[in-house]
Amino acid sequence: MSEQSQATVPKPRYLAVFAGLAVLTAVEVGLVFTGAAQSVQVVLLIALAFSKATLVALYYMHLKFEGPLIRIIAAVPILLLLLVIMIPIFDVWIFG
Amino acid sequence: MTETAELSFVRRYVFSTDHKVIGKQFLFTAMGFFTLGGILALLMRTQLAWPWQEIPVIGKLLFGSGGNILPPETYPALVTMHGTIMIFFFIIPILSGALGNFLIPLMIGAKDMAFPRLNLFSYWVMVPAFIVMLASFFVATGPAAAGWTSYVPLSILKDAIPGSEMGQTLWVLSMMLVGTSSILGAINYITTIVMLRAPGMDMFRLPMTIWALFVTAILATFATPVLTAALILMFLDRTIGTLFFAAGEGQVILWQHLFWFYSHPAVYIMILPAMGVASDIISTFSRKPLFGYKPMVYSIMAIAALGFTVWGHHMFVSGMNPLLGLTFMTSTMLIALPSAIKTFNWLGTLWGGNLQLRAPMLNALAFVSTFVIGGLSGIFSAATPVDIFLHDTYWIVGHIHYVLFGGSLFGVFAGVQYWFPKMFGRMMSDGWGRIHFILTFVTFNLIFLPMFVLGGYGMPRRIADPYVYEMFTNLQGLNQFMTYALYVLALSQFILAGNFFYSLFRGKVAGKNPWKANTLEWTLDSPPPHENFEHIPTVYRGPYEYSSPLVSADWLAQDQYLDGTKPPEVMPAPAVSPAAGD
Amino acid sequence: MTTADHAASNPLPGVSTTKFAFWLFLASEVLFFAGLISAYVLMRIVSPSWPDVSELLNIPLVAANTSILLVSSVTMVYALASIEAGDQSKLRRFLIATAVLGTIFVSIQAVEWVQLIGEGVSVSNNVFGSTFYVLTGFHGLHVLIGILFLFLTVYRAFRGRYTRTEHGGVELMGLYWHFVDIVWIFLFTIIYLV
Repeated sequence: MSEQSQATVPKPRYLAVFAGLAVLTAVEVGLVFTGAAQSVQVVLLIALAFSKATLVALYYMHLKFEGPLIRIIAAVPILLLLLVIMIPIFDVWIFG
Repeated sequence: MTETAELSFVRRYVFSTDHKVIGKQFLFTAMGFFTLGGILALLMRTQLAWPWQEIPVIGKLLFGSGGNILPPETYPALVTMHGTIMIFFFIIPILSGALGNFLIPLMIGAKDMAFPRLNLFSYWVMVPAFIVMLASFFVATGPAAAGWTSYVPLSILKDAIPGSEMGQTLWVLSMMLVGTSSILGAINYITTIVMLRAPGMDMFRLPMTIWALFVTAILATFATPVLTAALILMFLDRTIGTLFFAAGEGQVILWQHLFWFYSHPAVYIMILPAMGVASDIISTFSRKPLFGYKPMVYSIMAIAALGFTVWGHHMFVSGMNPLLGLTFMTSTMLIALPSAIKTFNWLGTLWGGNLQLRAPMLNALAFVSTFVIGGLSGIFSAATPVDIFLHDTYWIVGHIHYVLFGGSLFGVFAGVQYWFPKMFGRMMSDGWGRIHFILTFVTFNLIFLPMFVLGGYGMPRRIADPYVYEMFTNLQGLNQFMTYALYVLALSQFILAGNFFYSLFRGKVAGKNPWKANTLEWTLDSPPPHENFEHIPTVYRGPYEYSSPLVSADWLAQDQYLDGTKPPEVMPAPAVSPAAGD
Repeated sequence: MTTADHAASNPLPGVSTTKFAFWLFLASEVLFFAGLISAYVLMRIVSPSWPDVSELLNIPLVAANTSILLVSSVTMVYALASIEAGDQSKLRRFLIATAVLGTIFVSIQAVEWVQLIGEGVSVSNNVFGSTFYVLTGFHGLHVLIGILFLFLTVYRAFRGRYTRTEHGGVELMGLYWHFVDIVWIFLFTIIYLV
């Protein structure tokens, strides 16, 4: 069960990652109260959410230290997720 | 390995964790649902041939209170339940559930699935699904009647049709359970195939059946959860009054997007395993290596990957944006490429082969030929301008039946007759198998080929009495002809059933390898013992070394060691047990 | 049965069968939430009368709650690091901390639901209500299931079932918990901020 290989990898600095996550969350909430244009906010907020999710996945879920197969299993559903979300939007809203 | 004798009857045959027993459980339940789905089809076609006439034989039993005549509101329920049962309770369980369970560990050289108890669970979560779906026939308002696609708002508005009352709720519940079973089974299959292959069984030495089941499982893992989400939203709309699909603020087209995101890949879930089965059988009975093994593998992958990007071709007339329709049309057309590669490779395998036209081989050949008709008719439906005319006509019904009956079902007939000796240790009669094949193949084409003609005339599907429209009255003769053909087809299934059950007890004893095939399951006793392999075999070559110049026999088993064969590189690896933390 | 002869060549050194399958399960979970989020996003974009969430919902409170869930991910990852170092008592403490933080998260969410219901927002009076309760509800359900399994893991930790070399259960628990955290990162963004 254990990862012998992981013992050789330097332990990620979990607290540093958490600091990053906390800062990003603060930036997100701050952004909402700046009153920037809605479209700018949406793009920035989604980009920030993706950065936070990537941090958690890479360091807390150890994706950074996994082999290619596990990374593929993690990546493919993200592509399909974008498809499931974007196509109805294209259909109903953008081309509506 | 000797503890099998101590297992009680219940643990061995009812709540068994043995993949072979679970596979047989799926096989027998699926056969039961095939019968039920067939009866629904007989009722439908009788109505289409002689609308509102007394239904012979079973009419009195079913509709005795209404003068043995089909009630008008029952016809949509028949359509719905025929589709649902044939797809979700017959084709998918028999291909992925029965053949997948039985074959995966045997063909990759493993003792069982990676998670035997999860495997047990994925059968037994189907049982409540069966019960709920069957129960929906007996509720006062009848079973779901919104089509197997359950389009909203028909499936949301309870007063739209009697079936939209309790029946639809039960349909949704049952489908959620089916989805759960699918996902769990698929995860188990993928893990087993990746982790538990015998030494030397590289991915590119896997039989095509396993490759097909592997890719099918990937499709099921990624597509089914979206359907589950959509079903939950529908369930909440129907029970606690959420507004996801409701008229007004809700999004009617959202259901179609989410439903087809699953259900188009589901079409490949239903056809890919049959493709794998046909590849194995055609190679075995041609006594020739499969032509183009790697292109076959890559084609399956391409079909699966493209399959996720084409769902909108079901929605060309749903008010979907035409520009989006164009992209879906293009991606759909692209699927013709890998499909054609597969077809030509099957033909290439047959070319110059030493053909043995046994019953499984005949059914596999029927699979290839009807799949070509089904596939080519699909290109017409994929083209938006053509589809706008053909949509919701009998053309579409003909197309889906050429792919799912002509394709998947002949694949099932082929696979069940091919592996029957391995499952039960006895041979099915080849003569009766051929008679069943000829009758089924001929009547199948007599039923479904005219559907393309009816579709060309514009005859709509899902309508109990098309002849209320004067322009369709001249089609009644053709419909009666098709119904007569269906009666012959239905009767000829008794030959298959008789052959199956007679051979189960009285068939010729099969021995280990009646077809002289190469794959690992044929190195075992028939039926294989509990935990299959006493010693895990070592695999030295691919599965299709027929007529090899290296040996005098015309077959060369995957695990046969020849002088000079390079032993596989066995990696020293951590032990992996099938029960680990299950 | 000796395990060594079952599969002589593990193609993924260092990845257990259960971990591989668990990643597949998480992948299917991603697509389950994809269906729900797709419904939310579409309705949010198209709806002519979406309420102003910053008036309806207490954004600072939810931001604090989000931080609580993020902290619980940190304690979870330290639980795994502890057992990798063989430290049983730290493992137990970090697991309990994670479970407690998770419980606080769900409780605050329950308070939020009660407030919203009090303000008359129900699942059936507009699509905001439908999507809000269903999305946060299914996430909350995942957190609840996670808490349940955390307590099971704590129980097993007290029984000494995890060792420096054998702690697959803790690792899977962590994967699940971080996944639920990631889902919340997105839900927080699209429901409360955008």
